[in-house]
Amino acid sequence: MKKLSRSYLTLIYLFFYIPIIVLMIYSFNNAQYSLVWHGFSLRWYQTLLQDNDLWISVWHSLLLGITAATLAMGIGGLAAISLYRYRFFGRNLLYGLVFILILSPEIVMGISLLILFSLLNVPLGFWALLFAHTTFCVPFVVVTVYSRIVSFDEYIFEAARDLGAKDSVIFARIILPLLWPGLLAGWLLSFTLSLDDVITSYFVAGPDYEILPLKIYSMVRLGVKPEINALCSITFGFTLLLVVISQLVLRKKP
Amino acid sequence: MRALLISLILFFSTAALADENILNVYAWSGVIPDFIIQQFEKETGIKVNFSTYDSNETMYTKLRANPRAGYDIIEPSSYYIDRMRRQQMLEPLDKKQLSHYKNINSLFLKTHYDPEDKYSIPFIWGATGIAVNKSAFDPKTITRWSDLWKKIYLNQLMLLNDSREVFSVALITLGRSINETEPKQIKEAYQKLKELLPNVKLFNSDATISILIDEDATLGMAWNGDTFKASLENPHLTFIYPKDGFVIWVDTFAIPRNAPHQTNAYRFLNFMLRADVAKKIALDNNYPTANLAAQNLLPNSIKHNPIIYPSREVLKRGEFQRDMSDVALGVYEKYWEKLKMGS
Amino acid sequence: MKNDNAFKYFSLATTWIWLIIFSFVPYGLVIFASLMSHDTNHLIRLPFTLQNYVELSEPIYIKIFIKSFYIAGISTLICLILGYPFAYTLARMKSRLKGLFILLVIIPFWTSSLIRSYSMIAILKAKGIINSLLLSLGIIHEPIPMIFNNTSVIIGLVYNLLPFMILPLMTNIERLDNRLIDAARDLGANRITTFRKIILPLTMPGMIAGCILVFLPAMTLFYIPDLLGGAKSILLGNLIQNQFLITQHWPLGSATSIVLAILLAVMILIYLQSKRNKKEQDLL
Repeated sequence: MKKLSRSYLTLIYLFFYIPIIVLMIYSFNNAQYSLVWHGFSLRWYQTLLQDNDLWISVWHSLLLGITAATLAMGIGGLAAISLYRYRFFGRNLLYGLVFILILSPEIVMGISLLILFSLLNVPLGFWALLFAHTTFCVPFVVVTVYSRIVSFDEYIFEAARDLGAKDSVIFARIILPLLWPGLLAGWLLSFTLSLDDVITSYFVAGPDYEILPLKIYSMVRLGVKPEINALCSITFGFTLLLVVISQLVLRKKP
Repeated sequence: MRALLISLILFFSTAALADENILNVYAWSGVIPDFIIQQFEKETGIKVNFSTYDSNETMYTKLRANPRAGYDIIEPSSYYIDRMRRQQMLEPLDKKQLSHYKNINSLFLKTHYDPEDKYSIPFIWGATGIAVNKSAFDPKTITRWSDLWKKIYLNQLMLLNDSREVFSVALITLGRSINETEPKQIKEAYQKLKELLPNVKLFNSDATISILIDEDATLGMAWNGDTFKASLENPHLTFIYPKDGFVIWVDTFAIPRNAPHQTNAYRFLNFMLRADVAKKIALDNNYPTANLAAQNLLPNSIKHNPIIYPSREVLKRGEFQRDMSDVALGVYEKYWEKLKMGS
Repeated sequence: MKNDNAFKYFSLATTWIWLIIFSFVPYGLVIFASLMSHDTNHLIRLPFTLQNYVELSEPIYIKIFIKSFYIAGISTLICLILGYPFAYTLARMKSRLKGLFILLVIIPFWTSSLIRSYSMIAILKAKGIINSLLLSLGIIHEPIPMIFNNTSVIIGLVYNLLPFMILPLMTNIERLDNRLIDAARDLGANRITTFRKIILPLTMPGMIAGCILVFLPAMTLFYIPDLLGGAKSILLGNLIQNQFLITQHWPLGSATSIVLAILLAVMILIYLQSKRNKKEQDLL
């Protein structure tokens, strides 16, 4: 039984990793349009490193991700705190809306924002993308932060209030320090979502702000694009590096 | 916290907008090579934002949905020039700023889509024909579009992912014009295509080169330039100009109305018109160039290649795509969706 | 006291203003657009009409809806079948390395989903890894066509979405009370009965959550059918994308989006129903 489950796990892990490893191998293939092995070459890494547009789009994506995640963290954090602390008109509506936003099809969100922006004459580009990304990140932050906040001891707030602390003080001195891991988790989740979003961005992106996922989309549509393989190796290597570092850092703590 | 947020946003937005000496180019994917863009940037110091599309319709909708989208150069096919100029979506061109304008092949001037050459600059052209892999099928047995209907090609064909192109195949087979607008005729073409469906393996316009090289499809509709380019790596490939007729298309450059960086746009157009630049492009994407001066500079192997530059006699069988009314286009799209669902 | 309320109003106002401008209004606009007439020159125009919804009831669109549900459904089912034993084994693992194993599920998904879909091309192509392997081993003599059909679309969807099944299931299984299982065993239930009567019902919420998280995106990930399906099978995502960007029929596209949203909302309601008996605490 144990053997069976172990080999099953291995099988699924292989399913997860083999495609990525295959791409990494092909990234050294010396052929432009073909997947047939043409010999070992580092030229795609060279092409990739020299592809200015690509690095600009990486930079744009990082900027967008950081800004959108920060904004979403702010708004989502405030929303989660309000949901937890206050009884107000429309609370259930807000609650439901968060759900709807998480589960509503991305394509509908992209389209609804495209209609909004073309009606308001908002130029497609950085701002449109920022609004869109923040909007689809906010509900995820709310969920992450909320699940953290409910684990608090309610008496902390009451004690603080009894001692005469105002809401803003409670927020700054108690909620924020306690909530900070939840906020960070929400931020990271938002950042990841923003970096990987294709569908919503596809509708609201403009010419002077190309972002990485759309750049990749225009490349993968060509069927075989060796730069993508090289990019895959680089991102995968980078992820592994981050994971190893974070593991080492975490392990040091008692 | 709020102040921090605001300053963060301000910082990033200024960073995003700081660079003003720019040009936003929106072109077909796979037509303009990266090194040409880089050369332009190096020569002029203008930063190019280069994005691509895979169909005229996508480009058109982006501009329609947001007239201030910010594109400076677009690359519509001829029949979209016709539509966009009639809808006043294009800037009339000031040819005085284009010193290399004389390089254009006069065959592509004074055309039906832009009679006074006011809005467009012909860039490349091409034909849609049949790509055959000799190791799989004998090219001698495939001479016309109607041959694709043969039962032996079950689940083998690649078709372009473009409604007008695919319907042209059926219309030609039925002996009609590729610019047919009568709903009844279009429906007939649809029914004809439905008979073709069992033979269709996939629809694709972007990845045809790699699909042909790696033999994911060994027979199908393709553009002459792509097929030639693929044949350089897979020598079994050949291109056939069907006997019963074929589509000829021209891709042009134009400046959308109210483009924000028009001075730079003119510099770009003039750069693209230069014989040496057009030659480099022609050698990279292997499409016939509309630039006569560049064509003359090409090596003989290309200049006299029957796939890229077919003889006058062959060209006579070709027909240009024309714009049509929204109603007619709507009919095409409706049947196109039906067709794709049937497969 | 005044300052007290200031904070409350500030946070409520920020939340509401953002959600109203970027969720309520745009979604309202989609509903609005779905009731307008079609005109390529202006994308949408008056008069109001129900024509778009009438058009959606045509057999071809119903066929697309059914096919979409079918492909997404099959993918979800496969994810469930593959994911459940995996999540179960992982959740009940007592190894020190458990955290690492969970991390290993997540790591590939930090690579762009587009690149992962694209990697499937390299695997399934006529000259891809599987065919080359089989050919060189002499098992086959002609490459098997594996790409550009419904199966390759489903494989792509499963590859992309499997973790969304595994993670909620795992959380759910981890929370299982072992004493219940032991009690069942003590009372003489065999493995199968224990699983059927105890484990399966208790992990139902996790299964439903996983299914929804897989099913929803499966229907609208338009780039997977385009890349792996040879653009043959139109899924709802492709249909909506086409209606907006190719045919420029915004009212019809909006109507399709609305119908899709309603269908999904019904499913989510079912999900909420199943959660009702649980504590209100965790939102998802």
